[in-house]
Amino acid sequence: MARKIIKTKFELYEEKVETMAEIPAEDQEPLESNDKLKIIGKRISRIDGYDKVSGSAEYTFDKILPNMAFAKTLRCPFPHARIKNINIKKAKAIPGVLEIITHKNTKEIPWYYGSSLLFDNQVRYQGDEVACVAAETEKISEEAIKLIEVEYEELPFVVNSKEAMKDGAVKVHDNGNVPEWADRKYSRGNAEDGFNAADEIIENTFSTQVAVHNPMEPHCSVVNWDGGKLTVWDSTQGIFSVRDFVAQSLDIPASKVRVIKKFMGGGFGSKLEAGKYTVMAALLARKIGRPVKISLDRKEMNLSVGNRPGSVQKLKLGTKKDGTLTAMSHDSYGPMGAYPSGAGCAWPLRSLYKCANIDIKESSVYINAGRARPFRAPGHVQGTFALESIIDDLAEKIGMDPIQFRIVNHTEVDQDSNNPYTSKKLLDAYRKGAEAIGWYSRRKPKNSDNGPIKKGIGMASQIWWGGGVPPAYATLKLNRDGSVRVLAGTQDIGGGTYTILAQVAAEVLEIPIEKVNVSLGDTANHPYCNVSGGSLTAPSVTPAVYDAAVQMKNKLISGASAILEVPEDRLIYSDGIIKDKTDESNNTKISDVVRGMREQVLVTTGARNANPDGYAINTFGAQFAEVEVDTDTGKVKVLKIVAAHDIGRILNQTTMENQFHGGIMQGLSFALFEERIIDDYTGKVLTTNLHDYKVPTIMDVPEIEIIIVSDPDPLISPVGVKGIGEPAIIPTPGAIANAVYNAIGIRIKSLPITPDKVLMALQS
Amino acid sequence: MNKFNYLQPKTLYEASAVLNKENGSSIPFAGGTDILGLIKQDIISPQEVVNIKNIPGIDLISYSSGKGLRIGALVKIDELIHYPAINEKYSIISDAAKEIASPQIRNIGTIGGNICQRPRCWYYREDFDCIRKGGGDCYAYEGENKYHCVIGGGPCYIVHPSDMAVALLALDAKVTIFSGKESRTIDLKDFFILPEIDSENENILKPGEIVTEFIIPEIKPNTKSGYIKFKEREVWDFSVVSVGAVVQVNGKNIRSGRITFGGVAPIPWMEESTNKMLKGLEINDESLKKLTEEILRTAKPLSMNTYKLRLVRNLAKRLILALTS
Repeated sequence: MARKIIKTKFELYEEKVETMAEIPAEDQEPLESNDKLKIIGKRISRIDGYDKVSGSAEYTFDKILPNMAFAKTLRCPFPHARIKNINIKKAKAIPGVLEIITHKNTKEIPWYYGSSLLFDNQVRYQGDEVACVAAETEKISEEAIKLIEVEYEELPFVVNSKEAMKDGAVKVHDNGNVPEWADRKYSRGNAEDGFNAADEIIENTFSTQVAVHNPMEPHCSVVNWDGGKLTVWDSTQGIFSVRDFVAQSLDIPASKVRVIKKFMGGGFGSKLEAGKYTVMAALLARKIGRPVKISLDRKEMNLSVGNRPGSVQKLKLGTKKDGTLTAMSHDSYGPMGAYPSGAGCAWPLRSLYKCANIDIKESSVYINAGRARPFRAPGHVQGTFALESIIDDLAEKIGMDPIQFRIVNHTEVDQDSNNPYTSKKLLDAYRKGAEAIGWYSRRKPKNSDNGPIKKGIGMASQIWWGGGVPPAYATLKLNRDGSVRVLAGTQDIGGGTYTILAQVAAEVLEIPIEKVNVSLGDTANHPYCNVSGGSLTAPSVTPAVYDAAVQMKNKLISGASAILEVPEDRLIYSDGIIKDKTDESNNTKISDVVRGMREQVLVTTGARNANPDGYAINTFGAQFAEVEVDTDTGKVKVLKIVAAHDIGRILNQTTMENQFHGGIMQGLSFALFEERIIDDYTGKVLTTNLHDYKVPTIMDVPEIEIIIVSDPDPLISPVGVKGIGEPAIIPTPGAIANAVYNAIGIRIKSLPITPDKVLMALQS
Repeated sequence: MNKFNYLQPKTLYEASAVLNKENGSSIPFAGGTDILGLIKQDIISPQEVVNIKNIPGIDLISYSSGKGLRIGALVKIDELIHYPAINEKYSIISDAAKEIASPQIRNIGTIGGNICQRPRCWYYREDFDCIRKGGGDCYAYEGENKYHCVIGGGPCYIVHPSDMAVALLALDAKVTIFSGKESRTIDLKDFFILPEIDSENENILKPGEIVTEFIIPEIKPNTKSGYIKFKEREVWDFSVVSVGAVVQVNGKNIRSGRITFGGVAPIPWMEESTNKMLKGLEINDESLKKLTEEILRTAKPLSMNTYKLRLVRNLAKRLILALTS
């Protein structure tokens, strides 16, 4: 199959990425619409469903190797300190303790883009790694870390971004708390002129909390050395990123590191990169010559593996009386934690609506707290909450329906590049979503129901990338019995990747899905795919499987042609049987073709196509929330969410709905419950368990209605699917916030919208 | 988590003897839903964990007309939801029981343990050397005190976490305590202690003392009772504030009653002044306004919990209206 190498550019988590990729050289025939397909788009049960419900699915956390030792990490209890001395004698003396590593006995391994080390003697947040113990049992490791004697020099600290930005603030790093690269500016047009031309201007400041990923399965690794080769079982969203980082950290060839991830109990961005825990476990394992397992407890999860940074966003928007936006500005800051990361959140404002004049300034601030990491639609969740709140206020100010206001400012071209979108069905999402929630019967703002319970309806819009990118490759192996194995170096992080890849292979080859097996998540045996983040997986990997399957089909037709002695163009392929058009009795099953070709296994490898030049690829959607606010208690109860989205093709109705349910629950949770709270006086986190760090129970989750307004988008790929993992969460908090405003007539400008805030707002 | 010995005494005498150790180095274990968390998080490190579930006779509920209700300390929270006499006459108990934790915890957690559970204060539960753990400071006083007390605080500002205590206090319950040789029965209101008396213990129990029973007096005719718990989540959450009330009604008016509050003070809270106002209260907008203004009138909220006053007053009004309509 002819291939060519291209340079491809895309946006991943607000970063412009440029990479090379091998792609199919020729245009591919797109898949037909779902109504003509047998497997794609249907409610197909997860092919790994039985394994999961029966408990036979092996998650990294379940992995047990013979002679395995258990590691536990000693973490700094202070927000900022210098380690003056470490004494491991007492800890080492406990029976069952095998090895302890600290900065004193470990070579310097650069970490966090060289801003720190694996073991730094300056520790910059509560939870920073100080030492790691391997022992016969996890219990013994836990005992041992308590007996490691560390002499700390406590240093002044700063845990509040606003304080950290002030002159004379404690410096987390020598280059200041807002290094040059962390101060980002963007503008287009002339915002000042735009505001001068406005009939109405609104300015407001919104804030959002720090939220922690808290997947059910904690971060964990099991590592095993075999001579100079290392195998790592890791609960990760990026097997290749972990492989490369671990290899680099240990200074061994990437070819000698094998990373495996089979099943995973959730990953929302914190598992995109290699963790210190993996490298510490590998170092310990090498020293003791035994496999080592390391898994974080819930407190470590809440301190040390990332968070959605908080934000303070000052927004200013100007509009004409007819609703045309004339200018928008966004000035925000947020904590990136103790090591380099990002806390920007202006992309929605920059891209969601048509507006020629934009000014953006975003500052990411170092503080002595856990580091920010991408978290399901990083930046977009917080940015969309603020933008969609102020858009509603602006619509109200000029007396326009909020949806109408959004329609007036709808754009068919990407505001950044002026390229048209490959597809955009946002107007349909507005229309169908509004119908489903009963938008036009909603009360006007500041109306009030009788009694203490007030109902309200609100909505918010959404933009995200999620079109997928090359490179992504998939290999197909067809056996003599007609069964197929799909191999791809992607990872199913719970969204159903195993199932959708099987569906694509089964659909193209017209075989029952039961005959397809899918192997994912093994750097040694699977072709490269990107991280499972950025809503990239389905739109990147399914076209590679499609390509491999089409190649396989062509190979089979070619083989059948030789076996049946019939020219290829006279053959038809149907239901796994290849027939002579002129004489249907002259046919062969695909399994017989493999045999007839004297092959044991037929192999093809497919690649993701290039994205089209001159287009922007985005996902769009709108969510609508109906809420009830109890004005006696301040409690917000969400009664219903309608999610109307443009996601290209639906691959699997069930797993698609699952993804939306998960995203909406997480969005609802961000809107109403979750918040990492740090004690200002001590710099310590107060919410390190799932009682104090609140996530919703199923009783807090309302009815959710999902409406897909899109068709397959053939400009993206022959499969025509967009990613949905992140679009699902983006508009939920904004929609809930606008519904709360509609219910009580008071704008809550800070998330989460907790009862105390609502009650105090109602009182004043 | 430290290593400990697990003891299984068969009688109250044995249990009391092994529990009678200084410095809390020995701790009774019933449902274990709080104790295990405390041990695992290194908040307490007992040398001996004493399972009292094998002790016969303290896991029974009985009701006798005219005498009232007796509930053994080992009775599971879930049993309180299903006992007919409780549902018929003491709905405040079943109301409160239904609101506790999750079904799993209600199936194992006991009423005695519920009353004796330790505070949920995040400074107490996290790695702070706070006054309740014998340290020098209450970090909540000037810290993150949204969930802390608005009255009765100082030098420690916890709230008492028990729902059942608030319900039983409204019922004027008594508690029986076994102290090695004999049992004594005291008013539940005298069981709890403010931090100004003892900042490290929420009740008067001494080492070796075991709560064995709750005695709830027979209710007067035309009595109604109820419990409203406000929590941020729909289920599986401790109360932000709660209100319990037991009132003897006369048509739409109240002859007499008791109203109690949770989540506002370091102990389940009751105010004589408020109860006095309930006597002969005619229910109307004005009288309810007066009543709610009296509730926690002397409260001194901390920097982040003023909302609790409004919340508890609104809920008290809601409960009184529900019981008298």
